[in-house]
Amino acid sequence: MAKFITIGERIHCISPVIREAMNSKNPEPILKRAKEQLDAGAVYLDLNIGPAESNGEDLMQWGVKLLQENFDNVPIALDTANKKAIEAGIRVYNRAKGKPIVNSADAGERIENIDLAAANDAIVLALCSAEGVPGSVDERQAFCMEMLERGMEKGMDAAEDMWFDPLFLVIKGMQDKQKDVLDTIRWFAEQGFKSTGGLSNISNGMPKHIRPIMDSTMLAMCISAGLTSAIVNPNDLRLMETVKSCDAILNETLFADSYLEL
Amino acid sequence: MPFKKPAPKPGAAINEVVLGTGENAVKLGGESVLPFYGFDAEIANTTKIGIEVADVEFEDAVPGIAVLYAGATNAAERVVRAAGVPGVDFVCLRFESADPSGADTSAEDCAAVAKSAFDALAGAKPLVILGSKNNEKDAQIFDKIAAALQGGNVLFVSAKEENYKTVAASAGLAYGQKISPESAVDINLAKQLNVLITQMGVDAKNLVMNVGSAAAGYGFEYVISTIDRIKGAAMSQNDATLSMPIFTPISTETWAVKESTASEADMPDWGSVEDRGVSMEIQTAVAVIASGSNAVMLRHPASIAAVSKLVNALA
Repeated sequence: MAKFITIGERIHCISPVIREAMNSKNPEPILKRAKEQLDAGAVYLDLNIGPAESNGEDLMQWGVKLLQENFDNVPIALDTANKKAIEAGIRVYNRAKGKPIVNSADAGERIENIDLAAANDAIVLALCSAEGVPGSVDERQAFCMEMLERGMEKGMDAAEDMWFDPLFLVIKGMQDKQKDVLDTIRWFAEQGFKSTGGLSNISNGMPKHIRPIMDSTMLAMCISAGLTSAIVNPNDLRLMETVKSCDAILNETLFADSYLEL
Repeated sequence: MPFKKPAPKPGAAINEVVLGTGENAVKLGGESVLPFYGFDAEIANTTKIGIEVADVEFEDAVPGIAVLYAGATNAAERVVRAAGVPGVDFVCLRFESADPSGADTSAEDCAAVAKSAFDALAGAKPLVILGSKNNEKDAQIFDKIAAALQGGNVLFVSAKEENYKTVAASAGLAYGQKISPESAVDINLAKQLNVLITQMGVDAKNLVMNVGSAAAGYGFEYVISTIDRIKGAAMSQNDATLSMPIFTPISTETWAVKESTASEADMPDWGSVEDRGVSMEIQTAVAVIASGSNAVMLRHPASIAAVSKLVNALA
């Protein structure tokens, strides 16, 4: 085991400020969000450039260099549907602080992203679904095994570099599926697999003041089940306090009275 | 399946802290592997040995210690003798007489003694200053001594929960010396003190931890498990708040227990007092070094010779 790994989700082209910054190659808004997330304790930064069909390679390289040059080679999750952009990003990526993460592969159309990660000695986020929402824990396990096999065929160190995503689902509307997610994480942990996922999904559509409560409670339950990483908003104070407290409770970090300030 | 040697994870290393100045400066820490795991990666600096000298003469010194200081009339002369003992890397001057329940030497007088000792050493060995174990008085004498020895890169032992603010502000910040947070076998406090002192602005690379010390057999397993856990956090958990080298001043403990003090008249079966004291000191030192202490403080030349031989043989 190791300390829980947070992947900061706030550099995302769905945000108008970030989209505009990416369109105009304006570093300031991106650097500001990166700093806020790292100051709050994010380990990895997710860099989501969207589909980026026309200028993806150039944009990803610009983003990777921008973040790593300004933040001591911060490790990055390269997040786009454009494979060539991910490869381009990895070409300029500095591994001093950790391998790049390919975000993401699945057991459907995006399964080739496993090959991409294997060929580039990267970590891959492997989403246990093919299309739509998996119906059960069994189905997730089947997708997981399919992707695992693919990764191992391609020579990946599956226990280290394949981070399986159980697919977090929104509670409003899919309340009855939440236990499946926890059971899947528990099963990943039993197999010795690393895991991650877009945790904030669960509280979509909830009032703003409720989301940190739901997110941090779900996260604590997931970490207890064996989750090793998550894509989160590190500027959610309650959530980061939960991560730090979980690390202390699981003896992944030595407690000190000032632990929340670290 | 063939054995695949796991590659050590990069990034985790103990800070390298320099004591003293010039060519005789001593480096503590700097390693990126567990104690003596030289097969995993090169260990930058060997374990260092400090010799304990007090500002007053040791009472009832055993012959090997008495002969070393025979004829020396003051702390400066004793410090010079101590510096010449083979195997010594640095000299620890302990201000026993500063204790308010004892001679209560003033901070100004302590500073004058420290300055004379420092000047007499003339850079031959780095100097470490220890207090009288009275928190309030230690903060006072450290302030004056740190001022008098400014530029000497001297280590002050210790800054405790009760006085760290004063010690860090004066010795650490105002005079740029090294300081040693002391946490008495409390791992959580060890981390907390490092955090608090660095939050005050002292560079983490100016800290050498004193995480607790005891003579072997006297609650010693707590000392060992404390050092183990702290090294584990620094190395395996990459915890920068615990990556300071560790100094364990064991001699004040080992020379105070009955094995080292009971007279041969009282304990005829136990053999020579001196042999017992040296044995206690060596056994204790070796155990803390094996757990990861980057430096120890010893008193007897025979112990220093033995421990130094061991450290060099394993280097």
